Amino acid sequence: MATTSRVARPRLSSTGDALRPDSNGSTRERLTALAFIAPALLGFAVFYFWPTLRGVYFSFTEYDVFNAPVFVGLDNYRALFADATFGNAMLVTVEYVAINIISQTVLALLIAVLLHRVTRSVFVRSIVVMPYLVANVVVALLFYWMLDAQIGITNQFLGWLGIEPVAFFGDQNLAIPTIALVNTWRHVGYTALLLFAGMVMIPHDVYEAGRVDGASEWKMFWRITLPLLRPVLALVLVITVVGSFQAFDTVAVTTAGGPGDASRVIQYYIFDLAFQRLQFGYASAVSVVLFVILAAVALVQLKLMRAGESDVA
Amino acid sequence: MGTKRRIARTVAAFTGVTVLLTGCASYGVDPGGDENSGEITYWMWEAAQLPAYQQCAEDFHAANPDIDVKIEQFGWDDYWNKLFTGFVANSAPDVFVDHTSRYGEFASRGLIEPIDDLVAADGIDVDAYVQGTAELWIGPDGKRYGLPKDFDTIGIYYNKTMAADAGVTDEQLKNLTWNPADGGTYEDVIAHLTVDQNGVRGDEPGFDKSRIQTYGLGINSSGGPNGQTEWSYLTQTTGWTYMNARAWGTEFNYDDPRFQETIAWWRGLIEKGYMPPLSFTEGGSQDQQMQAGKYAMVTEGSWTLATFAGLEGVDIGLAPTPIGPSGERAAMQNSLADTIFTSSPRKGAAWRWVKYLASAQCQDVVARSGVVMPALQSTTETSKAALAETGLDITAYTDQIDNGTTFPFPAVLNSAEVNATMVSAMDNVMAFQADPSSLTAANEKVDALFR
Amino acid sequence: MATTAAAPLDTEALLDRSAGGGGRPRRGPGRILAWVALVLIMAATLFPFLWMIRTAFSNGAALSTQPASLLPVEPTLGAFRRVLGLASTEEAQAQGGSGAAIDFGRYLLNSVLVSVLITAGQVFFGALAAYAFARLRWPGRDTVFFLFLTALMVPPIFTQLPNFLLMRDLGLLNTYAAIVLPFFFMTPFAIFFLRQFFLGIPHEVEEAARLDGAGPLRRFFGVILPMASGPITTLAILQYVQAWSEYFWPLLVASEENVRVLTVGLGIFRAQTPQGTPDWSGMMAGTLLAALPVLLLFAVFSRKIVNSIGFSGVK
Repeated sequence: MATTSRVARPRLSSTGDALRPDSNGSTRERLTALAFIAPALLGFAVFYFWPTLRGVYFSFTEYDVFNAPVFVGLDNYRALFADATFGNAMLVTVEYVAINIISQTVLALLIAVLLHRVTRSVFVRSIVVMPYLVANVVVALLFYWMLDAQIGITNQFLGWLGIEPVAFFGDQNLAIPTIALVNTWRHVGYTALLLFAGMVMIPHDVYEAGRVDGASEWKMFWRITLPLLRPVLALVLVITVVGSFQAFDTVAVTTAGGPGDASRVIQYYIFDLAFQRLQFGYASAVSVVLFVILAAVALVQLKLMRAGESDVA
Repeated sequence: MGTKRRIARTVAAFTGVTVLLTGCASYGVDPGGDENSGEITYWMWEAAQLPAYQQCAEDFHAANPDIDVKIEQFGWDDYWNKLFTGFVANSAPDVFVDHTSRYGEFASRGLIEPIDDLVAADGIDVDAYVQGTAELWIGPDGKRYGLPKDFDTIGIYYNKTMAADAGVTDEQLKNLTWNPADGGTYEDVIAHLTVDQNGVRGDEPGFDKSRIQTYGLGINSSGGPNGQTEWSYLTQTTGWTYMNARAWGTEFNYDDPRFQETIAWWRGLIEKGYMPPLSFTEGGSQDQQMQAGKYAMVTEGSWTLATFAGLEGVDIGLAPTPIGPSGERAAMQNSLADTIFTSSPRKGAAWRWVKYLASAQCQDVVARSGVVMPALQSTTETSKAALAETGLDITAYTDQIDNGTTFPFPAVLNSAEVNATMVSAMDNVMAFQADPSSLTAANEKVDALFR
Repeated sequence: MATTAAAPLDTEALLDRSAGGGGRPRRGPGRILAWVALVLIMAATLFPFLWMIRTAFSNGAALSTQPASLLPVEPTLGAFRRVLGLASTEEAQAQGGSGAAIDFGRYLLNSVLVSVLITAGQVFFGALAAYAFARLRWPGRDTVFFLFLTALMVPPIFTQLPNFLLMRDLGLLNTYAAIVLPFFFMTPFAIFFLRQFFLGIPHEVEEAARLDGAGPLRRFFGVILPMASGPITTLAILQYVQAWSEYFWPLLVASEENVRVLTVGLGIFRAQTPQGTPDWSGMMAGTLLAALPVLLLFAVFSRKIVNSIGFSGVK
C-alpha cells in the first residue's frame, strides 16, 4: 500500500527523503556528482542556455544569415507591436490551444472513465493509444485526405446526411478548429491513459463507500474521481500546452499557414519569417515575446500543480 | 568607486558576450566551386514536363558521361519554401528552374550566378529566342541570369458540351467583351453557363445560388501579387499597371481604383454564385473540377494545354481572353529559365547542363512532348504541330503573341515579402474577410518595403 | 527476478489488486450506453487507419469515381510501387502520381539510427543527471536543478533558430550529428522523470550497499539502475516515439537525401505530388509505410507500452 501512495503523488519540489540539504557531501560524492551531471550540463549549456542568449541578442538585430547581424536596438520589438500578422498569429495560436486543450481533456476524461469503469482490457487500451504512436506528419496527411473537400470520405458521409461539402482545411473559419481536432485525435488516447492510470490509483473503497451511500456513477465522477484526479489533470495540462507546439507539423504539411493567415500559428510564422523571408532578427524577437508569454503561463500552471499536490497528499 | 568598477565589469562582460555571440559565425554566401563533373541536382516544379526533361537528362548524360543529373520535382507552393530553406542551409540544388517573379531577389542577394561571361564565351545567340523572352532574364543589376527555355500566355478553357447545351457558340466565346461595371458579354456567358442543382441557369429566375451544380467560371487562387491566370488578363485591359516600371518597380498600384474595381467585379462572381468560394481551391485543381463537371470555364496558362487536352470524358475548347475597356485583349507572357546556385561546388558542370537545357537538342525533345512551348524559335513549328495534336486551337495563345497584346510578368525585388503581403491581402478579400478597399493598406505595406 | 522491482509501479499490478473489489458499476442501460460509447470511440480511432490502407491499395487515378467505397478502388500495388520508386515516371503519372519516390530503406535506416541514438543518449545521460540530483549531495544542486526546470518551459522554436545557426556555423548541416546532438545530452523531461523515481527508492537500499563499501558509482550501476529498469523502459519508449515523430528539427538541419528521416521524406513526397491534384493513394501508401515500423513494434509490445504510458503520468 505504501507504494501506491508514493506513486500517486507527483512531486516537483526538490526535497527528497534521501536528501539532507544541510550537507554538501564528501569530496568523492561531489566528484561523482560532477561527472554524472557533466553531460547534461554540457547539453544544457550548448543547446538551451547558449541559444537563449543568442536568440535574445538576435532579437535586437537585423540579420539575414548571409550578412553579419546589424544592431538595431528595439526596432524589431517596435515593428512587432504594429504587425497585424503577428497579432493574428497569436490569436490563432490561442484559438488552437483552447480548442485542443478543451476537446482533448474532455474526451480523454470520458475515455478514461470508460476504461476505468467499463472494461480494463489491455486490447481496448492498445487501440485507444495507437494514434499516439504514429508521427504527426502521418496523421496530418491522413486527415488532409479524409477531410478533402471534393472526394474525402468525411464529405461523403456529410453528403448522405444532405450536407453540402465542407472545405475543412480550405475555409478560413474552419482551418484552425480542424487542425486542433486532428491533433486531438492523435493525443487523446495518450492523455486518456494518463488519466486512467490516475484513476486506478484511487482506492476502490472510496467508490465502495460512495455506492453504499447510494451515489450514482455520475455523482461519483464529480464527487470522487474528478477531485482526486486534479494533480494528474494539472500534469496533463502541462503536457498539452507543450504538445501544442506540434501544431507546426500539421500546419506545415497541410495548409502552410493559409488560407490567408487563417492557420498561421505563431510557430509557423516564426519559421516563415526566418526561413522564407530571411528575417532572423525579427523572427527572434517574435520568439522572445512568445517565450515570455509562455513563461508566464508556465508559472501559473506550476502554481496550479502545487495546489493540486497538497490536495491529495 | 565600487559602483564604477561594477559598471566596468558589466560592460566588459557584455562586450565579451557580444563577441562570443557573433564571433564564431561566418558570413556571406558560400562562393561554391567550379568543378566540371560529378552529380548535379536539378529542381523543377512542373510534373507534366518531368518526362521530357528526364529524357533531356538521359541524352545529356549519354553525351557527357562525366556528369549525372538528378532531377527532383516539387509542387509550386512547396518549391519556393524548400528552395529558400535550401539557400539558408546551403543545400539548394546546383541548378533549378527559376521564375521571373522570384529570381530578382535571389540575384540581389547573390544567391544565383550571373551568366553573361559564359554566354559570351560560348557564343550563344540570345536573338534565337522568341521575342521578349530573353530580356525577362536580365536582372535588376543589368546582368543576365538565365536563358529562356519556354514561354507561356493565358487563355480560357471551356467545356464544349456545356457551351453547346447552353446555346453559346464557339464564335461568341472567341469574341467576348468585358468591363468592370457590368462584366460585358463575358459575365453574360459565365452566368448562362452556371447551373444550379435544379437545372436553373444563373441568368434565369429561380436560380438557387446556394446549391450549384456547375459554376460558370472556376477559380485557381486569389492571385496574390500578380494574378497571372486569375485576373491579370482583366486588370491589364483597364490601363492599370502593377508598378512604376515594367520590372523591378518600387511603387505599386494596388491602391488604384481600376485595380480594386476589377477585383470587386471578380469577387462579385462568387456572391452571385457564378464562381466557387476561395475555399474550393484547397485540394482540387481546376482541371480536376472541369473533369468532374463542376466548372464550365476556367482561365489557365498555356503550360496546362496537355493536361486539359488529356482530360477523359470531357470535350474541351480553347478561347482567347476577353476584349476589355481598352478595346484589346491582354495576356501575361512569361518565360522560365534555369539558374545556377552560387554555392554549387560544380558550377562548371552546372553551366554545361544549363546550356544543354536551352539548346535545340533538348528543346526539340520538349517541343515534341507537346506540353509547353519552347522559347527557341527554331523549335516553334515542331511545338505547334505537337500542340495541335491535342486538338485544341492554340491560336488563342499564339495570336496574342503575334498581335502584340501580351505583357511581361511583373518581376519585383523583395518578392518573398511582396508575396507574403499580397497573398494574405488578396486571400482575405476573396474570402470576404476584407473589402477590396483594404488593398490600399496592403499597397502601402508593399511600397514601404522599397523605401 | 529483475522485474519485481518495477512491478509495484506497474499499472497492471495495481489493476490486478483493485480488480477483485467489484469497483465496476452494475449492469443496466447505463452500462450498455457506456459500451456503445466505447465501441464508437474505438471505431473513430481505427477507421482512419482502415481508410489509409484502403486508399493505399487503390488506383489513384480512379479514386474520385468511387470516393465512398469501403474497399480499394481498382485494387493495385501501384501506389507502393511508385512510392518505392519501382514504377517509371509514365506509369506513376498514369495512376495520379508525379514520378516522385521515397527511398524508403534509406529513410527508415536513418530514422531508426537517429531515434536509437537520441533515446540511448537521453536515457543514459538523463539517468546519470537524475541520480546526481536525487541521491548525491553537492553544492549548487538546487540552483542547477531550477535552471533545468526552466528549460522545460522554453518553447522549442525559441532555441531551434539559434541552434540551427550553430549547426550551420559548425558546418554540421545535413549530418546525423546535427539531428541528434541537441537532444542527445539532455532533455529536461527525462531528468525529471527519472529523478522522481530515484527520489522514491527507500534510502535503506542504498545505505546497505554503502555499508558494504560501495562508492556512488557502484551504487548507481549496481543497485539503483537495476531497480529502475521499469521506468527506464517507459522513458525509452516515450522518447523513442517522440524522436521518431520529430519533423521540424530534422527538416531544418537535414533535408538532404542521405540523412533524410522518414517524416521529412514523407513531407517532401507530399510536396512532390502534383499541387492541385494530390496523389492521395501514393501519399497513403507512404504514410502506411512510415507508420508500419512503429505499429508493428506496438503489436508485439502493446501490453508493455500501454502500461508504461499510463505510468509516465503518475511518476
